[in-house]
Amino acid sequence: MSQPTPRIHPLIYEAQDQLRRGRITRREFMRYATLLGASVATASALAACAQPTAPAQEGAAPAEGGGAAAPAQEAAPASVQRGGTLRKAMQLQRIDHPARMSWVEAANVVRQVAEYLTLTGPDNITRPYLLERWEASDDVQTWTLYLRKGITFNNGQELTADDVIFTIGQWLDPDVGSSMLGLISYWGGMENVEKVDDYTIRLHLQSPNIAVPEHLFHYPAVILPRTFEGDFIKQPVGTGAFTLAEYAEGERAVLKARPDYWQTGVDGQPLPYLDEIIYVSIDKDAAVAAIQAGQIDSIYQPRPSDYLALKDVPGISVYSVGTAQTFVLRVRVDLEPWDDNRVRTALKKCQDREKILQLSYFGEGLVGIDAHVSPVHPEYCEQPIPAYDPEGARALLEEYAAEKGIELPLRVTLATKNDEAEPEIAQALKELAEPAGFDITLDITEPSGYWDRWTEVDLGITAWTHRPLGIMVLPLAYIADEEGKPVPWNETRWVDEEFTQKLREAERTLDLEARREIMCDIEAIMQERGPIGISYWKNVWNITRSEFQNVVAHPTSYDLLYEIWKEA
Amino acid sequence: MARFILRSLLSTAVTMFLVSLALFLLVEVGSGDITVKILGVFSTPEQRASYRAQLGLDQPWYLRYLDWLVGNDWRAERLVGHPLVTVRNPQSGELEWWAQVAGEQLRWDMEEGQIYELVRQEDGSAMRRPAPETIWREGPEGEAVFWGVDEQNRAAMWIQGKPGVAFILTKAGMRQETDAPHRYIPLRKGLLRGDPGMSLMTGRPVMATLPTRIRNTFVLAGLAFMVVMPLALLFGIVAGVNEGRPLDRTISITSLALTATPEFVTGVFLILILGIWLRVLPPTTVFLSDSDIWNLKLLVLPVLTLTAVELGYVVRMTRASMVEVMNSPYIRTAILKGMPFRRVVFRHAVRNALMAPITVIMLHVNWLVGGIVVVEVVFGFPGLGSYIYDAAIFGDFNAVEAAAMLMVTIAVGTRLVGDVIYTLLNPRIRYS
Repeated sequence: MSQPTPRIHPLIYEAQDQLRRGRITRREFMRYATLLGASVATASALAACAQPTAPAQEGAAPAEGGGAAAPAQEAAPASVQRGGTLRKAMQLQRIDHPARMSWVEAANVVRQVAEYLTLTGPDNITRPYLLERWEASDDVQTWTLYLRKGITFNNGQELTADDVIFTIGQWLDPDVGSSMLGLISYWGGMENVEKVDDYTIRLHLQSPNIAVPEHLFHYPAVILPRTFEGDFIKQPVGTGAFTLAEYAEGERAVLKARPDYWQTGVDGQPLPYLDEIIYVSIDKDAAVAAIQAGQIDSIYQPRPSDYLALKDVPGISVYSVGTAQTFVLRVRVDLEPWDDNRVRTALKKCQDREKILQLSYFGEGLVGIDAHVSPVHPEYCEQPIPAYDPEGARALLEEYAAEKGIELPLRVTLATKNDEAEPEIAQALKELAEPAGFDITLDITEPSGYWDRWTEVDLGITAWTHRPLGIMVLPLAYIADEEGKPVPWNETRWVDEEFTQKLREAERTLDLEARREIMCDIEAIMQERGPIGISYWKNVWNITRSEFQNVVAHPTSYDLLYEIWKEA
Repeated sequence: MARFILRSLLSTAVTMFLVSLALFLLVEVGSGDITVKILGVFSTPEQRASYRAQLGLDQPWYLRYLDWLVGNDWRAERLVGHPLVTVRNPQSGELEWWAQVAGEQLRWDMEEGQIYELVRQEDGSAMRRPAPETIWREGPEGEAVFWGVDEQNRAAMWIQGKPGVAFILTKAGMRQETDAPHRYIPLRKGLLRGDPGMSLMTGRPVMATLPTRIRNTFVLAGLAFMVVMPLALLFGIVAGVNEGRPLDRTISITSLALTATPEFVTGVFLILILGIWLRVLPPTTVFLSDSDIWNLKLLVLPVLTLTAVELGYVVRMTRASMVEVMNSPYIRTAILKGMPFRRVVFRHAVRNALMAPITVIMLHVNWLVGGIVVVEVVFGFPGLGSYIYDAAIFGDFNAVEAAAMLMVTIAVGTRLVGDVIYTLLNPRIRYS
């Protein structure tokens, strides 16, 4: 092959060494290596070299072509069948410009037709997708994106750097109004996006960032042809495996397989295996009945009640995956009594995490520590799970009450929304915290009512969504802006100098091991004096009829359907 | 007869007008601040005010009522000074408003204080050229103003030398834009001319979604009606004629039980038993294509549920009425004079006994069309009821008003039909 050997980032070899010595797992190595621009094939080869049983081959791992799409290689079944329709219940809202999408539902329709430069899999590993690979400079401020060659849009046009540049232009155009604009503000605008050649784009970031590949998979970031005029329903052009045949808001979306898709299935023919996908916009309760009778095959984002109703039904498979979605018990540290760390700590000690998980989410999750970093995050630093300790909590509260000259129990109001699991968590906490000396009054309102005041209530339970890296939520919610005021989503008003410093350091640290070490400190600070309690991280489910194979649950409920096939 | 019907028609028109006014005011009072719902709770008062103006909500309610009913293009035409026309854009397929000026179709736009004319081309795109200075007119406060049509189908007023500031809603938040007009009239033709406006929920005209929903509901309601009414009348008459006998008791108790069971209970049981356990019928109405409405198998369970709810009510009404008539002296006379029983019932009793049920039946037509939200939700049926429900939850006032007005029309219309049937059944009304 005449193709030049891709440059392998020096830190990858370091990581390979760590893998060999068993300091990081294979999964972490893969995540790390692909983050730094090695194709998955390269990373796998490097990982194989690092296996203690394998002959040690220091640094010798030329990428072989690097063209293989990562997910297709894993667990290929002996034979697949082609044909069939997947029918899925999902609400369908208005779609116009994909860069402007604000609902995952809309993105799930669009992503079948148009695709992303990268792909964050269900394992939180981000891989090149329309990209063949990427390269980061040592200071992670310059990123070079190498586009895969020979991909065509469904209008016959070839995908080149011009289309990518056009799409980035759309993200950064204030007239389009994409949420990408804020997310990638650190790129510093169009003048920092350079077209090197027809298949290469270089980003000269204004400030270094290690999450560029993750951001390229943010759901509005599908790559559009340079001829795109602003309405995807009228011009459904993309590189994806399906074409849009019909779209009616509130009714249905019909997608048909495209014959000349760029990825190949295990049978040597182009993907997808399915002929057709139909999304139907029906009520979730109706969908639960419909899937049992086989009128539909899958449900978008099943609720816990749907999970309970369907988990033991023959013919229906439930796939679950751990996420960084959670319910955060949080206090306002600028208000009494939460300004005193003893009271905060006492409340955190009142969480019987296992019990809360059982009562509110039937054990479908991972118990957490009181820091906003999930065990599924690559840089998570493992810590012991704090035990339920009402006596310890009571001692702290008594000390506080004696000092303030007040009587226990301490009366507080816990606000949350009447949604997925919040009322159950609130109720459980009320009971668990009673022996410690808390008298909790529940204030449970409709979801919109809570979202109207979520940053204002002094004690509340707020639902936070999944983000693939541990360093992504912390700057949104636990720091101050340049003027020293808490950032808009800092619902707790908690600002800690040491914490902020450590976080800034972590955000610049590529080395996974080093970043995890900083993360250990960050987690310790949050546990010791932070404003939040996290009982557990919830699982999400993909519920699909069992005749469909290759189905995976994605932490963000993204539908990746091009490799699904149906058993006749 | 003709006079009676004429009078009914007149009262119908008056009712419609009053109801439309009441409906408009109710939505007005009940929907709260729609801009908070759309822009989110973090929007500032200025942003909300700007957005209200862009939606035309800063006008007094009577003007907006008039706009809603008969449109506002005629009002805007006087301000713009040119005829305003709607033209279909061949690219997007949507209707756009343009001003007809000397053989050209124009819109306007301001950039850095200068007004530009956008001249419509055959293919739907527009050519841009600076507008002449002569367009400015003297405004009420002495400033130079210009009324034109902007690119968002609104009549808009710009002021010379004083560009306005507007907040435009984007998914990334509110964007501040200068060179904006100071006043807006979102152009519309009005309900009476078949244009109920834009839906805030879908971002498309209400009329793009509503017709399919209406058709679906009509099919479901029509089927249910055709099943329920003959059955109900038959059972009611049979029970009434056999008053006190075991047959009457059976029918009465069954119908009472059916009426007493709410539709969501019946519906869920039917789904569980016939749809999921026995698997003889599809449990929900999943329409995989628009023509699935004609797949009658899908409609069996919703129709059965509606039948269960409706049947008992009409049966009991008919029975009571029948019993009363059967005990009246003229029926006794007819029987005593030796007329065959069958003839007494069908010739003399039924006709009089149907008066009361007709009223109920007509009211139920209306309920079948819009009031069956619960049944629609249980079966996932995309009908008018669930459309109104969704729109009301969102605060999509154009959609709610259009759909509700339609239901009012049906209600009033069925009453009219009921009146006509009355006159046919009862000569006393005909000749009074």
